[in-house]
Amino acid sequence: MKKTLVTGTLALCSLAAHAEYQQVNLTVFGMDCAPCAHAIHVSMKGIPGVDKVDVDLNTGLVIIKLAPDNSATMRQFNQAVEKNGFTHKDATVIARGKLTGTANAAFFEVTGTQDRFAVVPAATGIDIAALLGKTVTIAGVLPQAPKGKLTDTLRYNTITEAR
Amino acid sequence: MKSLMVLACAFALPGVAVAADHGPVFSYATPVNSQRELSFDTGIFGRSGSQGTQLSTGSGFGYGITPHITVNAFLPAMFGSGALPESRIVPGSEWSAGASWRFQHSVTSVGKRIESTASLGLVVPGPQQESGVLANLHRAPGVAATLATGFASRSQYAWVGGGYTRFAEASHDRRPDTISWSGVYGYRPARLRRGYDKWDYRGFAELTGEHTGNVRTTGAILPASSTTTLWLGPSVLAIFKNIAISGGVQAPLLRDASESIYGREHVRFAINFSYLKYSAH
Repeated sequence: MKKTLVTGTLALCSLAAHAEYQQVNLTVFGMDCAPCAHAIHVSMKGIPGVDKVDVDLNTGLVIIKLAPDNSATMRQFNQAVEKNGFTHKDATVIARGKLTGTANAAFFEVTGTQDRFAVVPAATGIDIAALLGKTVTIAGVLPQAPKGKLTDTLRYNTITEAR
Repeated sequence: MKSLMVLACAFALPGVAVAADHGPVFSYATPVNSQRELSFDTGIFGRSGSQGTQLSTGSGFGYGITPHITVNAFLPAMFGSGALPESRIVPGSEWSAGASWRFQHSVTSVGKRIESTASLGLVVPGPQQESGVLANLHRAPGVAATLATGFASRSQYAWVGGGYTRFAEASHDRRPDTISWSGVYGYRPARLRRGYDKWDYRGFAELTGEHTGNVRTTGAILPASSTTTLWLGPSVLAIFKNIAISGGVQAPLLRDASESIYGREHVRFAINFSYLKYSAH
């Protein structure tokens, strides 16, 4: 019994440790020059868990790749943009987390962070009922939120059980 | 520590009207520092005329308190003498400190923004004396206020701005009030709209003008001491990540100044170096 509990706890810890953002592609408005991009790069790299940052000035796209077992949050990414005087728009994310709720009102929780989103399919025909309660990898879009706020909806394109 | 720094900047120094940093070298512009960004500027500013060349060099510091409020200070040193009129576009020997507030900020699309910034600062006499008629005046501190508004994008820039500086009276002398204005257009060619890890260049056409009031000496107005000038010229800005170098030259379009009081100014030039230290958090 004790052995089962330990094994179960370890399994849960393992699942929690692997729930995280893997990549965030954030569109930023207002950057016109090299120092703007450099400022964003420095700010994003200062967030623990961020592995690599690429900034494209011509598209405004900031691509953030994260290390395994990170606990970075969307709020941190948004704040990094805001403190430099720019505006964040939609973000495309690939993240691992737990799917909770019901098939009609499902939530995606990035374990280890406070980030929790109502999940809405970007296209019809995706049945997520079988994934409820499981750890999933999700790719989708977080719509733009007002300054200082975090959106509560994730429009997912793909959702699969995490390995 | 942060509070001490802010207080030091606010009370010990003044503020130069010119927006150096990583914008045009002569004209007023809107950019302010990021939150907790420290910027350092140094350069050489020259005014050459019939009675010699006047050079000033100095160090400017800026610190972003918020994404839209920056405190700054500028401590110049002056060399040479040209007996030239007062100028707030080209730094003289006054130390300055103040704050800039970007009170309007609108992003319209990728790379584009429309914004307006107001600045208020104290201007205090530095240890060096002016030249010409201004050298004989008792000097007192003044206040400088500026306002700039404009547009920035990946391809084009346009800003207009104006400033007003008023000095207090000292021993019945008073330096002239100065009204200055500028309009600048910048352009970055398509092939130079590259990644931020490459050198970033843009060119500007800068139009600046100044009107200085009459000089008051021993309680009386010095006749014909008021001046109006208008200057136009190109400048170039090169940036690599957090380092910027800019340079420009201006020639006079209009010089309405008494040559019995002032030297006849022929050319203005500036070279500025900026270092920007961004905060990770």
